[in-house]
Amino acid sequence: MAQAVQPQESAAPPQKLRQSSGSGFVFRWTDIFWIIGVILLVIGASGMWQRITEGLAPTNLTSYVPWGLWVGFYDYLVWMEVGSLIIFTSMIYIIGDKRLAGIKPVVLFTGFTVVTMGLLIVLLDLGHPERFWHVIVYPDFGSMITWMVWLHSSYLLILIVELALVLWGGKRGQRIVQWLAYLSLPVGLALIIVSGSIFGVVAARPLWNTASLPLMFLISALAAGSSLLLLLTVLFWKDKTSEDYHAVVKRLSRLTSVLLITGVFAAGVIASTILYKGSGNPSRVDALNLILTGPYWWSFWVVHILMGVLIPLAILLNASDKPRLVGIAAFLSSTTFVAVTLNIVIPVLVTPELEGLATAFVDPKLNPNYVPNSMEWMVLAFVFGIGGIIYGLGLRFLPLQSRHVEESHD
Amino acid sequence: MPEINDAQQSRRNFLKMLAGTGGAAAVLPVVDAFAADPEAVLAKLVQQTTASDNIDFSELDVLERMRFELLRALQKTPAERRWVMVIDLRKCVGCHSCTVACIAENKLPPGVVYRPVIEEEIGEYPNVARRFVPRPCMQCDNPPCVPVCPVDATYTNEEGIVEMNYERCIGCRYCLTACPYSARTSDFGYTYTQGNANGDGFILGSDIAENYERAANFEYGKQYPRDEGRNSPIGNARKCHFCQHRFLNGQLPACVTTCIGRATLFGDANDPDSLVASLIASPNVMRLREELGTEPRVYYLV
Repeated sequence: MAQAVQPQESAAPPQKLRQSSGSGFVFRWTDIFWIIGVILLVIGASGMWQRITEGLAPTNLTSYVPWGLWVGFYDYLVWMEVGSLIIFTSMIYIIGDKRLAGIKPVVLFTGFTVVTMGLLIVLLDLGHPERFWHVIVYPDFGSMITWMVWLHSSYLLILIVELALVLWGGKRGQRIVQWLAYLSLPVGLALIIVSGSIFGVVAARPLWNTASLPLMFLISALAAGSSLLLLLTVLFWKDKTSEDYHAVVKRLSRLTSVLLITGVFAAGVIASTILYKGSGNPSRVDALNLILTGPYWWSFWVVHILMGVLIPLAILLNASDKPRLVGIAAFLSSTTFVAVTLNIVIPVLVTPELEGLATAFVDPKLNPNYVPNSMEWMVLAFVFGIGGIIYGLGLRFLPLQSRHVEESHD
Repeated sequence: MPEINDAQQSRRNFLKMLAGTGGAAAVLPVVDAFAADPEAVLAKLVQQTTASDNIDFSELDVLERMRFELLRALQKTPAERRWVMVIDLRKCVGCHSCTVACIAENKLPPGVVYRPVIEEEIGEYPNVARRFVPRPCMQCDNPPCVPVCPVDATYTNEEGIVEMNYERCIGCRYCLTACPYSARTSDFGYTYTQGNANGDGFILGSDIAENYERAANFEYGKQYPRDEGRNSPIGNARKCHFCQHRFLNGQLPACVTTCIGRATLFGDANDPDSLVASLIASPNVMRLREELGTEPRVYYLV
């Protein structure tokens, strides 16, 4: 472990280093992750306490809108983690672009952190989280959620082993790493498709119940993941003066642009087909209109389309030789994808299945309207706090950017 | 002479009729025996008259007829029975007594409802009418809520009732999203008495109310006390089960017995002589969202 800590100084930009007085503690820019993590943990603590002691009662979730903020964020995290790793693994092992190998430990560790956060969120969304093991012991493989849990857990296991071998497996372990990387591809693809199928197979919700939804999940995951990979490249590439760095940034910028355009194009085709007069299922049209023109129209048009697609595209297509700008574009694109998953989950559930049911029996938990409340945001902050701390401490104490790791892949 | 109410009169007629069709027992001894042990007498009479085609139900309250048919159905093996509910929308007056009875029977907490009554206004002035549509669980033959459960916590039992295994349910609420009728609700753990003002000697009855609310219900033939913890059914998906714990003991579902207009009917559709079997063969019958292929077992007469 000792050699793992040593080379970290070279990873941080020199201008961001400063020596704290007397303690010997050297602040690195990556420490910002655990500092933000601690802040989020504090912000989210009371919400988490409520979640533990009172269950799901303090949330704004209802029986008519049983999934909300947390499920939306779970899907977002799956898109990010799996999408980025699929692109990364494909570029190294299928396309053969070995230049990216240097950031492999960081990419894997980012994936591990995000996978862990995703599992934690989905665990907290259960009415009986203490029974999570039932999915392992009493699985029904006819359910998409069973597949999701099994694939997600397998994916986490693959990531942990792969990361451990990359960090400490030496040259001998790299062959296994390669096979694990190959294995992670079908498992990751299946996880994304299954995540989409969770919604796609629900015949009761017409906007979800389309064969195209799992494929849309895949396209979106690749776009979101590509953005994240681009961001990680800009943040963690060691020698930012090298030609390789600029070439990789340019390449990933193009790839991200293509995937963003493909995603928007595919979504546009699907939406216009649904909205075409005379061809639409009314419930499907209502749910789609809620996304496009409902009270939270801005989350789709402003957050996703403008900030997540148009501005990043403008930068990526015109300034791919300016890594800092590219980094901003990648940050915007990768973070705003959450608007898409939230818009997939919530508006469909808010659209009533039976007219008049909402007023048939009035109770706060039989309310067809849903806006996440502060407790839900606090729990989310707590989970991101845990993620931030894991990530920040990992970047500080694990040899994620050390020379020997990079050399082992060269 | 003590006054005999309609129900007693009806029961007496029923017993007379049964005795007549049985051809053996004298009326009065039967009445006395009925008062002592009604279940045993009814079961015996049902056995004696199962093969009879000559029962005239026209003088009876449909509740008596359905109870008779229920007991007859219980003589069969579970797989031979097909429980259905028929709701006559022309008779429903929107009193919500079925909703209330269901809540009382199953001790449902706030936010959990098995049988709301949807109220709709139809037409435009001056041609306006109101329609009331009770919506229990449809006990679908192809229930979309069952295959989505990741732990087999919900399943169709051998007589077609979609059941919940509260001990196994993890509370993922996938079944809530999959039900096209929104017939499942999540138990978030509330009680009606929580947060109420309390004070010994000042507020009378609050302890009793709370104790009542914490006492067990009898869903699925088990007891689920609502204690201070977060044990099942808190955190679970919950749903109507046609009061299975009642009908397996010879009692009609609570919503059926309390329907003032006799709009909700229940029975074994596999019994060709049953009331429900004859009603679901009428041309004015419909089921909700049939286009989804769920094959609901709740039929509406319109």
